[in-house]
Amino acid sequence: MEEKDQLGRRNFLAIAIGAIGAVIGVVIAIPAVAYVVGPALKRKTSEDWVRLGPTSKVELGTPTLFKTTIERQTGWIVTEEELSIYILTEDGRDYIALSNICTHLGCRVRWITDQGQYFCPCHNAAFDKIGLVVSGPPPRPLDRYETKVEDDQLYILLGG
Amino acid sequence: MSVHIGDWLDERIGWRNVWEAIFLRKIPKVNWFYTLGSATLFVAVLQGITGILLTIYYVPTPDHAYDSVVFITTQVPGGWFIRGVHHWGASAMVILAVLHMVRVIMSGSYKYPREVTWFTGVGLLLAVMGFGFTGYLLPWDQKAYWATIVGTRIAGVAPLIGDPILRIMRGGEELSAVTLARFFGAHIWVLPATLLLFLGFHMYLVIRLGISAVPRKEE
Repeated sequence: MEEKDQLGRRNFLAIAIGAIGAVIGVVIAIPAVAYVVGPALKRKTSEDWVRLGPTSKVELGTPTLFKTTIERQTGWIVTEEELSIYILTEDGRDYIALSNICTHLGCRVRWITDQGQYFCPCHNAAFDKIGLVVSGPPPRPLDRYETKVEDDQLYILLGG
Repeated sequence: MSVHIGDWLDERIGWRNVWEAIFLRKIPKVNWFYTLGSATLFVAVLQGITGILLTIYYVPTPDHAYDSVVFITTQVPGGWFIRGVHHWGASAMVILAVLHMVRVIMSGSYKYPREVTWFTGVGLLLAVMGFGFTGYLLPWDQKAYWATIVGTRIAGVAPLIGDPILRIMRGGEELSAVTLARFFGAHIWVLPATLLLFLGFHMYLVIRLGISAVPRKEE
């Protein structure tokens, strides 16, 4: 009975070593986890209007491909990334800007004039003119960008 | 519950024998200087953990090495801490290993039957020196670059074999991308493998032979 109540020297040392070890472990583990997941938690917060080109380039009623390069900071490297955007207008006043990135798994879609559809070669997905899913696995329509026209130049809003 | 799991595992893998051999082995009455080896081992484990973490972001090429180190230090959360521990731990390794060696000399622990333990200890000390030398270049800043120019030149003054050694260390005549890549390879693959080999042998012998007692005063 008495022996159980008393914290023996041996047990005390065992507990003390365990406690100090746990503290050291936590002091290392917390920064380590932050260190590993840190860059994953970083989100781009800035919004930018990017100029695509003159509105006169857009054909009425059929998606027109615009390409633009943007600078992107990834880690310690600044890379130039090419963006492809399909612009559709029926009346020359309202514009729809569609991302060419398939909403399934991120392959690039292409406008097939003959079929009047966007086609993704990875898993045979098809989208219609305004980006709605016609067939295949994509879970949602093609992403859209906000657009604006200034001095006959077409802009889209990136990021945000 | 935990006792139950412990029993279950012990019946199958016999971990209690191993635990007792490592942590509950009998030791003579010694003093705090006899903990220096354990302290070195502790810092070595810390170096291993922080070193592995550093390789997640570090890139060993001349155009990215310095920038990736700056990125780790200033951009990655906790990066300054991980790198700081690795940086200061490196110096601690050398200091602790040497102090441990001094204690072994002073207490005469290298004598029969522990000579081979001493030999493996010498191997470990050399590995630690190798770690320090190769790791010093990796940040690829001015200090790293010129320290390695000087360090490899020192190796180069050895008679006859000096020049080949210098060329092998640098991977050519000049200190270059090749040098950085091979120092990195040595630092994270060759030296850790060497260290583990010697360390395993060293620990085995410490456990097998037991540690020596403090020498008695005799006239």
